[in-house]
Amino acid sequence: MFRRARKPLAAAAALASVAGLTTACGGSSGSGGVVNLTYMIWQTSEEAAYQKSVDVFEKAHPDIHVTIDLVPWAQYWAKLQTSAAGRNMPDLFWDHLEYLPELAKDGIITNLAADVKSSKIDLSQYSPKLLAQWENNGVIYGLPKDWDTIETIYNAKDLATAGITPAQLGSLSWNTTDGGTFVQALEKLTVDKNGKHPNQAGFDAGHIKQYGIALEAPNGQQDWWDFGVQNGCALQSKAYGTWTVNSTACVQAMQFEQDLMYKWHVAAPGTITNTPNGAQLPTILAQNTAAMTFDGDWDLDTYESSLPAGSWGVATMPTGPAGSGTVFNGLTDAVYAGTKHPEQAWELEEWLASAASEKIVTDTGTVWAAIPSLDSGFIAAWKAKGIDVSAFYQGSQGTTIGYPLTTAGTAFTNVVLKDMNQVWLDQMSPLAAANDITSVSNAAVASGD
Amino acid sequence: MSANIAVTGAASRSRAARRNRRTRTTLEAYLLIAPSLFGFVAFLVAPVVIVFVLSLFSWNLIGSPQFVGLANYRRMFTDSQSWHALLNTAYYVVLNIPMQTVLALLLALALNRKMRGSKLFRVVFVLPWMAMPVALGVIWNWFFDPRSGIIDHVISLLGFTGPNWLTSTTWAMPVIASVNVWQYTGYTMLFLLAGLQAIPQQVYEAASLDGVNAVQRLFRITLPLLRPALFFVLVTNVIGSFQQFDTVFVMTQGGPGQSTTTMNYYIYQQAFQLFHAGYAATLSILLFAVILVVTFVQFRYFRKRTIYDFS
Repeated sequence: MFRRARKPLAAAAALASVAGLTTACGGSSGSGGVVNLTYMIWQTSEEAAYQKSVDVFEKAHPDIHVTIDLVPWAQYWAKLQTSAAGRNMPDLFWDHLEYLPELAKDGIITNLAADVKSSKIDLSQYSPKLLAQWENNGVIYGLPKDWDTIETIYNAKDLATAGITPAQLGSLSWNTTDGGTFVQALEKLTVDKNGKHPNQAGFDAGHIKQYGIALEAPNGQQDWWDFGVQNGCALQSKAYGTWTVNSTACVQAMQFEQDLMYKWHVAAPGTITNTPNGAQLPTILAQNTAAMTFDGDWDLDTYESSLPAGSWGVATMPTGPAGSGTVFNGLTDAVYAGTKHPEQAWELEEWLASAASEKIVTDTGTVWAAIPSLDSGFIAAWKAKGIDVSAFYQGSQGTTIGYPLTTAGTAFTNVVLKDMNQVWLDQMSPLAAANDITSVSNAAVASGD
Repeated sequence: MSANIAVTGAASRSRAARRNRRTRTTLEAYLLIAPSLFGFVAFLVAPVVIVFVLSLFSWNLIGSPQFVGLANYRRMFTDSQSWHALLNTAYYVVLNIPMQTVLALLLALALNRKMRGSKLFRVVFVLPWMAMPVALGVIWNWFFDPRSGIIDHVISLLGFTGPNWLTSTTWAMPVIASVNVWQYTGYTMLFLLAGLQAIPQQVYEAASLDGVNAVQRLFRITLPLLRPALFFVLVTNVIGSFQQFDTVFVMTQGGPGQSTTTMNYYIYQQAFQLFHAGYAATLSILLFAVILVVTFVQFRYFRKRTIYDFS
């Protein structure tokens, strides 16, 4: 009797737990006719400004609700690819040129050309350099939302102690034989524990208290690519072409950076800047480990929150054997090709790329706008905080190289991370690294993955 | 005759009733195991089958998978990085297992004595195992930092210069192994301690009457009788070590160069950094095969030499 009585109970329990396991999935469609859109971004410091813009959008579109999904860069692309596998991608997401070609190849991004035409978007309002990167044979993968360049960020007190003015920083030059005035200035900024500089007798390279400069980049955008453009190095034969990282000009640029660390002892070595002990550049500057860094304008907010007001500033990078130059890059918002709400997603895309939205974002000093007429707003925002950021603007107007366009972006980044890590630790020669990077990346281009 | 028929009828009726009852019992059993069976199939059997199928495809997670036959397997045999990762994994296991097992055994022998505070120490040594590996990795990174880490600081107080532990191709793997030894020794010790306590006291009493000394007692009595516990500990720890991922991920990210890229970390890189899901599946089958062979060898070794019944 007892057994019999328990049976339905057991069955019910079994069924309940199976049901429990299977009901966890299911989409979220809006209630009361409201469409929910997800907008995925990676930069923490930009979330507030984009929320401000989205709030305005929602007010004008009460039937659309936008959720900003902030996923840090380190996890962003893995999350995007896995959610693509699960057919559960965000409706709109920040796109980067490193990943664009691969995403475009898989048909994951909406071609916006028809929408641009029907909505009569004035493409001439955008910086033509940016537009060109995101357009390919009449296909528009996204409307430009911002741009960035790399320049020098310095610690004002360290500069004053060394007797160097910010203006002088911008007029320095480097070369591959004696390092030039750039290395001379960095020697003044580098101090060992006894207060001696690298060009003085008795300097102790094993116990450096403050380095002249700290350089750090996952793939080269904030360091050797910039020395590269200043030395006439082209990373690729052409857009979507083969990799030419082992050309003399590029290898010299890498060698120069390695020399800054181990020959002249003026740059923080890889043990300080690399994985796993590497701190972020703003932290390195704030801790006085180095007197200056090369960094992108997207990090300005982090410098502001890491350093006391008035204690830091921005200057142009030095010129190299081939002149001045910087990496110039910009992002767009991509519309997921499989979105359930293509119309509403386009409305959000259109808004985010409009002068009105870009003005909201750039006037907070978050990023430079892709619409050049708005750039003064960015300068004004930082002027109000006591920082002159015009060096980034000058950089964008001079010689620039864009982000490499390739279908082998992930393979390139992966091998660069591994090899350049060893170059900055003085465990590998720049030439060996350049040859390996070139052959691995070109093999990936050839095999199509 | 009629009586006979009646008996047969009763028998067949009772057989039918028994069959009914058995069916009911079977059904009941299936219902009871259904929840865990569902979990087993959905989260273990199905993924394993999918991994085998996926290893025959090329897939970047976004597009549709392309059937490539055995191309991923051919690639695996010619990919020097996959063999490098396998060797790194073996190196890690060799660094990790003997150190961890011997330390755990010494601790278990020490804490098996009746002494003040032994219960407290048992808890203290198990604490690292209870903590989160990722958080521990972050903290150890600070300890091993060449500029501000306490380890190099202590070494410098002694008048030496410490190596750049985690950015050195020589030191990075031993550091990873040490952190894991530190973390899992207490856990291993628990099993060995339980094993020690299962050894009947009379065996030792008889031995002491026969004039057996301490060393003989350890090698002739304790260790042979501890084999069931040692067997369990070694098999599970070796499997766990071959799957090393978290400490590498947090402390070195496989570097410098490829010096700490274990097989599991390489699989992660292929799947989630390079988006070669098919190739990553193939590599995980290789790792699975290696673990299977090693475990099989351990089983063969221990089966003949293990006594489970002490009575």
